[in-house]
Amino acid sequence: MTGFLQAVAYGLLQGGLLALVAVGFSLVWGVMNVVNLSHGAFVVLGAYVGLLVNQRLGLDPFLGMFVAAVALFALGYVVQRFVINLVVNGPIFITLLLTFGLELLLTQGMNIAFTANYQGIQTTYAGTSFAVAGVQIPVGRLLAFVLSVVVTVALVAVMNRTRVGMSIMATGMDRGAARLMGIRARHVYALTFGIAAGLAGMAGTMIGMVGTFNPASAGGFTLLSFVIAVLGGLGNMYGALAGGMLIGLVQALGGYFLSGTWVNALAFLVLILVLMFRPSGLVGKAFYSARLEV
Amino acid sequence: MAAEQLRYRPTVRTATPWALGVLLVAAALALQTQLYTGQARTVTAIFMYVALALSWNLIGGYTGYASFGQVVFFGIGGYFTAVAMTHLGWSFWVALVASGLFAACYGALVGIPLLRLRGHYFAIATLGMAEGTREIVTNLPELTGGGGGITLPTVGAAATTPYLGNDGFYVLFLALAAIALLVTGVISRSKFGFALRAIHQDEDAAAAIGINTTRTKVVTFALSGFLAGMVGSAYAFQQVTIYPERLFDVEITVLMVVMVVIGGSGTVIGPVIGAVALQFVSEWLRQNYTDIHTLLLGGIIILAVILLPQGLANYVREARRTGEYSLLANVRRYRL
Repeated sequence: MTGFLQAVAYGLLQGGLLALVAVGFSLVWGVMNVVNLSHGAFVVLGAYVGLLVNQRLGLDPFLGMFVAAVALFALGYVVQRFVINLVVNGPIFITLLLTFGLELLLTQGMNIAFTANYQGIQTTYAGTSFAVAGVQIPVGRLLAFVLSVVVTVALVAVMNRTRVGMSIMATGMDRGAARLMGIRARHVYALTFGIAAGLAGMAGTMIGMVGTFNPASAGGFTLLSFVIAVLGGLGNMYGALAGGMLIGLVQALGGYFLSGTWVNALAFLVLILVLMFRPSGLVGKAFYSARLEV
Repeated sequence: MAAEQLRYRPTVRTATPWALGVLLVAAALALQTQLYTGQARTVTAIFMYVALALSWNLIGGYTGYASFGQVVFFGIGGYFTAVAMTHLGWSFWVALVASGLFAACYGALVGIPLLRLRGHYFAIATLGMAEGTREIVTNLPELTGGGGGITLPTVGAAATTPYLGNDGFYVLFLALAAIALLVTGVISRSKFGFALRAIHQDEDAAAAIGINTTRTKVVTFALSGFLAGMVGSAYAFQQVTIYPERLFDVEITVLMVVMVVIGGSGTVIGPVIGAVALQFVSEWLRQNYTDIHTLLLGGIIILAVILLPQGLANYVREARRTGEYSLLANVRRYRL
């Protein structure tokens, strides 16, 4: 029973972190109808930025993640403004291919700059844990989980209550109408992608703190983001949180009950089942479905 | 009767593409005598990608369903051959056709639920399907050897078919590419091909004019699975030992998509051009810039997608019709 509870606890904590990985992906897909295959590469890049400022400047990952967020926001803004915006109205495999090319560039660039070795951000507290009713709670994962939830809630507040957030949502709902209202769609798209990349960078630093990573981890994060975004409904940020927890739980319990690498197939099984029976996601409706093509 | 005669009257215009196809195959056979062993292997790989790109083109190019799990047919075909030759003692030639049929059945089976999805959802559901299938293959070690791989019997008493060697595989992959080209050529001009284009442009409208869209899509998916399955089968025999990571590698799917998009999706010759060009460039980069060739490949993909989003074959066709040769006009087309 304790083993089961331990798996549940681990799954929920991991799920919160996965939600932060996926929330930006979901936002970009929901607002721009772009499936960003380079999202995982941004996550890993964030981890490397966090690692660098930790090693060179001795910055704690919880401060380093803001450096990673700002750096990746800038990179993401430039990439969307000057590259992805050029093809954003094309057929789906055009944007898929472009972002795949970007993923190759980023991961191979990181391979050359940081080697393919697994690395982690070392802290004094991340490895320690305390027990609640026999269940071990690792401190690092708990902090990362709390941060993920706080950031997601803050993101929802920004989206719903600030001018910038509302212009992003408006552009996602109807780009033509938004432009008629004087919203600069190119700038808003770049902002959206920048925010997504910044959040990916934050998540990456957290992942680097609680575990290890290398450039080849990027693809796995992209796939998980995809599953979580679909589960939660596109552009639905609380949905991403729920989807992340669900996937974290499914993976942890799968690892507890199943042998071998069957657990890897579980996320995809969940994905295909959801796509077939509830394509608009588990939580409410995807707002993208209401969008008009302009 | 009159209509029948009209349809089958060959003219220079309609016969030229077929003659070109035959010439291409003949040229490829003639080329074989001029190549060193290493070069012949590279060209064999090009033929393999030509066949794979053509198989993706049927479902992704003509029908507009961007399958990001196309490699599943390649992998399943390869593993069916491996299992049939190792455990059942089948001859390779029987296994080759059977692998294609098995992959086609698999395509129809998963296609029935998955082809209800559209756009990104279809793309990712197929991606998940391919990854899931890989895990299933990995987790059946008694049958497939699991992650440790499986070795086909090619030498000694267990060998059911003598190993083909470099020359044999050159001809085999050329034949597979030629079959894929022929199938695409026939479909492209048939009523079936126009049904696929109709589904691509507007699926509801296609259904309204009496096309059974579900059946058409499933048949196309199965057919593209058949072609890719046979290629996978030949690849497994060529490699002798196969692993799930390689046979179900997402990168193979992506290469197919890149080749079709660069060459021109929904055309017969586009995937051929794309596959030859990309494999050639990729091989050249690998030899001259070993450390950064994947990086450069990523850059080339980005540039190609921005400058030639409709692909070379479609670009030339449109440019000749409209007289607009500027690549910047391409950029204007899809930008925000």
